[in-house]
Amino acid sequence: MLENIRYFVRRALRNMRQWPLLCSAAVLTMAVALATVASFFLVVLNIEQLAASWTQEVQVVAYLEKSPKPQELPGLLQTLQAFPELETARFVSQDEALKRFRKRLGEDASLLEGVDRNILPASFELGLKKEFRNQKGIDQVIKRLESTIEVDELRYGQQWLERFNTFVDMLRFVGMVLGGFLLFAALFIVSNTIKLTLYARRDELEIMALVGATMRFIKIPFLLEGALQGFAGGLLALVFLAGSFKILIEQSIKSFWLTPANFELLFLSFNQQLGLVAAGVLLGSLGSLTSLRRFVRI
Amino acid sequence: MIQLFNVTKSYGGESAAVKDLSIQIPKGDFVYVTGASGAGKSTFLRMLYAAEKPTKGQILINNQNVTRISSKQIPFLRRKIGVVFQDFKLLQSRTVYENVAFALEAQGKKRYEVSKKVYQALKEVGLEHRLQRKPLELSGGEQQRIAIARALVVDPLILLADEPSGNLDQQVTLDIMELFKRANARGTTVLLATHDHSLQKRFPRRVITLDQGKLVGDYQPDQL
Repeated sequence: MLENIRYFVRRALRNMRQWPLLCSAAVLTMAVALATVASFFLVVLNIEQLAASWTQEVQVVAYLEKSPKPQELPGLLQTLQAFPELETARFVSQDEALKRFRKRLGEDASLLEGVDRNILPASFELGLKKEFRNQKGIDQVIKRLESTIEVDELRYGQQWLERFNTFVDMLRFVGMVLGGFLLFAALFIVSNTIKLTLYARRDELEIMALVGATMRFIKIPFLLEGALQGFAGGLLALVFLAGSFKILIEQSIKSFWLTPANFELLFLSFNQQLGLVAAGVLLGSLGSLTSLRRFVRI
Repeated sequence: MIQLFNVTKSYGGESAAVKDLSIQIPKGDFVYVTGASGAGKSTFLRMLYAAEKPTKGQILINNQNVTRISSKQIPFLRRKIGVVFQDFKLLQSRTVYENVAFALEAQGKKRYEVSKKVYQALKEVGLEHRLQRKPLELSGGEQQRIAIARALVVDPLILLADEPSGNLDQQVTLDIMELFKRANARGTTVLLATHDHSLQKRFPRRVITLDQGKLVGDYQPDQL
């Protein structure tokens, strides 16, 4: 048994050595196919992650008609914090609002000189719990707010949130369709490349059948070869992805204006990296198996 | 023992490649299969090693019905049969040694057993000093001797040769005939498809003649 396995591995390796061009063509095709699918996966993954970080910033700001009296404030804050939808509730006084505005104006802050310090309204900034960062959650909070305090104006980016959620849903759908299509195309290309490599070696297959080799004996080294090529293709795709991720994308995305400051780009997790290499092995073996069926006839 | 009973092989057209062929070849016989091109010689040989299935009739080899064996059993039938072709069918990317060893490896023989037998077979055909050469570095005659070594290394019960000297000169043909005669003397049944009449005259043996797929002559050497 051990002798057989050694023989099959030796033959698979020897075949790869004897046909370096064909072998590299198969490895490269698989690497390109896998890298394409994986980069598409990465794009979808990161947009979803970006979406999640954007929704983190979803908050309801309630501008008050009258600034509450200092002795009322702790009670009000306590009431707000008891809302089941809320994670944080923060009071922004008129003073603080003006301070922020001044800071934002920067060098033009002098424009505010002489302006009444009560010009900006006081407000509550309400951060929602993760599960309520959607339209329904916002509606619930607004309802509760209106029955608790006198609100002058509410701001919560409702339309923007709705549009963004539709966009993310669509992206997920397009991602699934395109990813499936890419995967199918990759399988097709890989299987055809392997068919070409087998076509070049049809004499060998014919002679093997002629001298009484069993189907198992003929197929196993080719399957092993496909699996090894898939493994190499998977590794190559991973190296290529990691390289271009570090050198090109990570740098350019950080300078992109829509990227939140604390946003970290996601790369494939260790398990996903293992999955990519395993997909290569599977792709290579499947490609060999389907092509062999056409070429090996005893 | 090879027995054919009313064997016909057609490829769907009107004319059949082999028609109603009934032949018996005893174990250890040496038989020439002759006939013009397209007479059905190759089809006849191909049916013996199950590369073709007869449309009608039965073929028995050592009482095993070749026409009824499953595709899983075909490799085991072929291990009893050595085949030699006009175009040698060698693996050009492998060495002489590897080409011959291939037949034994395909049967799952152990490594030490393989090297011993391959060396013996190559010595038998006079190529033991060319072990590490590639076939294309050798002459046509030498390449055919590699193919013969590959066929004989498994000690076959039957040796089928389809125009083995078609591309070779007279002297090389005679050398190859010597190899076939020696294999035959060791008990291997030899079927040699050829249209070289000079061979039959020089080494008289039983001659089966085909014409348009039909058996038109079956003579023992003393009848020629």
